[in-house]
Amino acid sequence: MISLQHVTKVYRNGTTALEDVTVDVEKGEFVFIVGQSGSGKSTFIRLLLKEEEASKGDIYVAGKNLAKLTTWKVPHLRRNIGTVFQDFKLLQDKTVFENVAFALEVIGKPKHVIDQRVPEILELVGLGDKLNNFPDELSGGEQQRVSIARACVNRPLVLLADEPTGNLDPSTSVEIMRLLDKVNRIGTTVVMATHDQAIVDAMRRRVIELDKGKVIRDQARGVYS
Amino acid sequence: MPRFEYLFRETTSGLRRNGLVAFAAISTTFIALFLFGLSLLISRQVSLMIEATTGNVEVAVYLSDPVNPSTVSSLTKTLTDLPVVANVDYESKDEACERFRTLFAEQPALVNNVDCDALPASLRVKMEDPEQYSQVAAVLKGQPGIDQIVDQSAFLDRLFAVTRVFRVGVLLVAFVMLVSASILIANTVRMGLFARRKEIGIMKLVGATNWRIRMPFLVEGLFESFIGAIAAILFLFAIKVAFIEPLNESVQFIPWIVNKDLIAIIPILLVAGAIVALLAGLVGMRRFLDV
Repeated sequence: MISLQHVTKVYRNGTTALEDVTVDVEKGEFVFIVGQSGSGKSTFIRLLLKEEEASKGDIYVAGKNLAKLTTWKVPHLRRNIGTVFQDFKLLQDKTVFENVAFALEVIGKPKHVIDQRVPEILELVGLGDKLNNFPDELSGGEQQRVSIARACVNRPLVLLADEPTGNLDPSTSVEIMRLLDKVNRIGTTVVMATHDQAIVDAMRRRVIELDKGKVIRDQARGVYS
Repeated sequence: MPRFEYLFRETTSGLRRNGLVAFAAISTTFIALFLFGLSLLISRQVSLMIEATTGNVEVAVYLSDPVNPSTVSSLTKTLTDLPVVANVDYESKDEACERFRTLFAEQPALVNNVDCDALPASLRVKMEDPEQYSQVAAVLKGQPGIDQIVDQSAFLDRLFAVTRVFRVGVLLVAFVMLVSASILIANTVRMGLFARRKEIGIMKLVGATNWRIRMPFLVEGLFESFIGAIAAILFLFAIKVAFIEPLNESVQFIPWIVNKDLIAIIPILLVAGAIVALLAGLVGMRRFLDV
């Protein structure tokens, strides 16, 4: 599903964010990317979205070579990838329903699809009764659920989560992890960058550890360190 | 169709959000297109006046009385033999009288006081090349039966020169205003993009195509220029009603522009506005939407 072959990323200012990274993620896997701040976790995520280009090496996502993907095809790549961030990235002037519907609307899905899928996915993430609330009326955990619903409403092949529990307290984080696990169980490949040790240790999933841009550990059913 | 709903909603919310800049863009477009339309109408008016006053004749050869038919034919032949002359028409005293009467039909006092016998017969020369008037003058010099040669091209040149200055001036101002309008439209687009950068970020993330992201902003610019163009057209009609129509009453020997001339420039103004808005929109969002 995801494959990085000897990928190096050097930013224009000379910083080497990733160095000779080779990683393969199979369909349906759940993978943690761990490491300290600045170890290259976010760059890893950004490369998969083609927000950045690799300086060296090849990246394949859902069977496509990202280096050969033309600019106008990038949106179609992203429709296969859901993304969740630490800061939720919700639109404050839109309701829960509208925030999720927006993701379908802007890729041109017809109204009947939106009206069917949005309540369905919000039910799945446990917000079936908050459709008409605005983000600022929700707790942090609930807001993250909305953002997960938005990421999954178009049924992506891959879900990328960059520190999704970074702003949440431990018990809420556990709930979010349960939800991501649920998403993974319905067949979505999940890649999650985090430095939340408790969560990684509790989940016992594959762990890829980055340090200064290099993979120093790739362990099935691993722990944080 | 959610697409239209979406487009309409995003466009109108954009207009609401930066209302003041949108207003500036609309009014500048209005002034620019109004001046542009005005210069087009002036051109049209000038050509109507030229048509009427000269009958498209550049050189008039007035013949002295009494007119000898053989003089007419020999002079006609001399003139038509010149390569610079396109054609020659003989206008008899009666015909001259007739033209005079039509021209001044609204001033019966003038018509009644002028004895038609006082109007000379003439050869009306249409030039192939009006610049070569001196050749006509040289050929006719010393020929019998000629009272006076009037080179109307000199008059036409002066008329052209005066109206050209006016027209070019108006066009120039219109151009400057069009540039300002496009800068203002580009600015509304850019402000809209900035105000909605978070939304745009999410749109990119979930895989909206660039064109789908751009469209509401382009439509917003088009809408602004459209309103400006409509206002300009209405204003031009108002000008015509306020100034040309009273003139039409009092100065009837000159044909004035009519509604048909105004209607003819409507599509020109709309298209000019649309082009400016699209170019401005594309400039405004340049570099802002790199994937």
